[in-house]
Amino acid sequence: MTRDITEGAPDAMTDLAGTFTDVRRGMIPAHIYNDRELFEREKKEIFGRSWIFVAHESEVATPGDYVVRRVLRDSFIITRDEQGDIRAHFNMCLHRGMQVCRAEIGNASHFRCPYHGWSYRNDGRLVGLPFHQDAYGGEAGFQRKGQRLLPAPSLDSYNGMIFISLDPDAPPLAEYLGDFAFYLDYYTKQSPSGIDLRGPQRWRIKANWKIGAENFAGDMYHTPQTHTSVVEIGLFREPKAEKRKDGATYWAGNGGGTTYKLPPGDFDERTRYVGYPQEMVERMKKTLTEAQQRVIGEDGFMISAATVFPNLSFVHNWPRVADSDDVLPFISVRQWQPISENETEVLSWFAVDAEAPEEFKALSYKAYLMCFGSTGMFEQDDVENWVSLTNTAAGAMARRLRLNSRMGILADGTEVTPALSAEQFHGPGTAHTGYSEYNQRELLTRWADHLDRPATPAEPLEVGTLASGGQAQV
Amino acid sequence: MTATHSSRSVLGAHASRIERAGSTLAFDDSRHLQAHRWLVDEAWLLDAQDYTAWLETLTDDIHYLMPVRVTTALGAGFDTSPGMAHFDENKYSLSRRVARFLTEHAWTEDPPSRLRHHLSNVRTFATTDAEHLVVESATLLFRNRGDVHPGSLVSAGREDLLRNTADGWKLARRTILVDESVMRMQNLAIFL
Ligand code: FES
Ligand SMILES: [Fe+2]
Repeated sequence: MTRDITEGAPDAMTDLAGTFTDVRRGMIPAHIYNDRELFEREKKEIFGRSWIFVAHESEVATPGDYVVRRVLRDSFIITRDEQGDIRAHFNMCLHRGMQVCRAEIGNASHFRCPYHGWSYRNDGRLVGLPFHQDAYGGEAGFQRKGQRLLPAPSLDSYNGMIFISLDPDAPPLAEYLGDFAFYLDYYTKQSPSGIDLRGPQRWRIKANWKIGAENFAGDMYHTPQTHTSVVEIGLFREPKAEKRKDGATYWAGNGGGTTYKLPPGDFDERTRYVGYPQEMVERMKKTLTEAQQRVIGEDGFMISAATVFPNLSFVHNWPRVADSDDVLPFISVRQWQPISENETEVLSWFAVDAEAPEEFKALSYKAYLMCFGSTGMFEQDDVENWVSLTNTAAGAMARRLRLNSRMGILADGTEVTPALSAEQFHGPGTAHTGYSEYNQRELLTRWADHLDRPATPAEPLEVGTLASGGQAQV
Repeated sequence: MTATHSSRSVLGAHASRIERAGSTLAFDDSRHLQAHRWLVDEAWLLDAQDYTAWLETLTDDIHYLMPVRVTTALGAGFDTSPGMAHFDENKYSLSRRVARFLTEHAWTEDPPSRLRHHLSNVRTFATTDAEHLVVESATLLFRNRGDVHPGSLVSAGREDLLRNTADGWKLARRTILVDESVMRMQNLAIFL
């Protein structure tokens, strides 16, 4: 592949220890947004062992449904098998390594490898091996029994959100999410039925994956500037400069996000204010805990954007979708899938409460399309900035520049606005009102911690040999 | 047939359901010539980003749809993402998109992209209604921004429903079938 001047310098030796120290004190070496050497480390130390979102259970609703999703370069088939269990298998034939399933979505009881015809049930089990006796001498040569496509080393889910980790010793997902799960519920558990996830729209942007993750985690400061146009055209009534800083940012567990401050009212009034019909409000009151309701009803904060380390983000907003004063809320789940140090594939899903009235679902979808995703009017301006930033970070000067990411704290570390008390903010973690970069620092500190702490290399997995006893891992 | 995409889409209930009748019109048929001219003129408006004039060429009941394409096994019976599209627009949402470009703060198009909509494979069909034509075309959009980035391309087939009005032919329904499942363009701050 030819290199052009938008790509990061290939051979510049990075002072890793210095980079991590700078990042931890909120001074960001600008080249981290376009650095091939760092990207190689990110692949191993971050994407090789973090929990990575792959699909929601509603995308594989009935037995046989499957979607094919990637973790970086590794393709996985996410299926619901005939027993109704969710499975994730590495999409590589055990024989010569052909990609077994080459569609992105569908329904199948079996996957047959096109190369030599090995076939696998949708629970991953190898069931067909042509000429097993003639070619291998049967079980004595190749143990077919008990063989299955390589399962994802770790698989877990939360509110139907399926994650996999390439680390077989990954901690349970709930532990990984930690207190962020409290906030994840707002996006994914508005009723006992949870969400329906639709999409994703997928497109590639010439931007480093960390920029979107940081932006969604905590960048309330960009809203009044970047998104001026959507306020001007009457699409959005909230992001006026003076409004956004009244919101709180929070960091809890392995993720953090932003909120808007709502006008006075109780839980019902404030939830209706952003456009939820009363029947949905009633269901939320059944599924959200008392503390979750108090963040909205008492504290007056409504969740907006958020990011879970490393690359999964959420957004909840409430634009006008017709020529009236009514607003309609929508939820988007999005993933910043790295392609290289300067390219990211965005996967942007639309999420809606499965029990919402049909009319609400349609209008919420319209709100999503107008605001986010490949054609979204918010997203358009965001991406333009991120592409430009990535491009500018490629050269020698960016290696010298330390970007100041210390918004919200003085030189001695004192907070510009003190953290909200437990009475002002009933959610877990630490929350602040006002503009700040606490969350961006939290995210990048985790980034530095991962790169700084090399993962244990994974063991090879042999298949079919007697020595391996069938398969090392089932 | 692409008209069925419109009827299956989430937000297309308001769209005209008129469909093609019969085979293609001859290339010297005046209806084909009118439809072809309409498309060429439209391509010029889109290249020039004269979106105010472009909006005028759309009927009030326009349905502007661009499904998300997905790779599916042969015989799966579908190749678009169920319930998801890139565009699923009516006149109001298109007018908001245009209004945004007219503000001074639509940064994604400041500086503006250089656009070229290449148009080909135009086939015109009569419909059961004399005031409507169905036109198929292929479009290849080249878009370039700034100086250092290579340009990007979108290739798509389109099926349009044109309506003859007092102000001439207008677009009443468009289905854009893009040829990629993963778009290689940073955003779709353009129209196809
Ligand atoms: S590679 Fe799959 S059967 Fe040979
Ligand atoms: Fe933004």
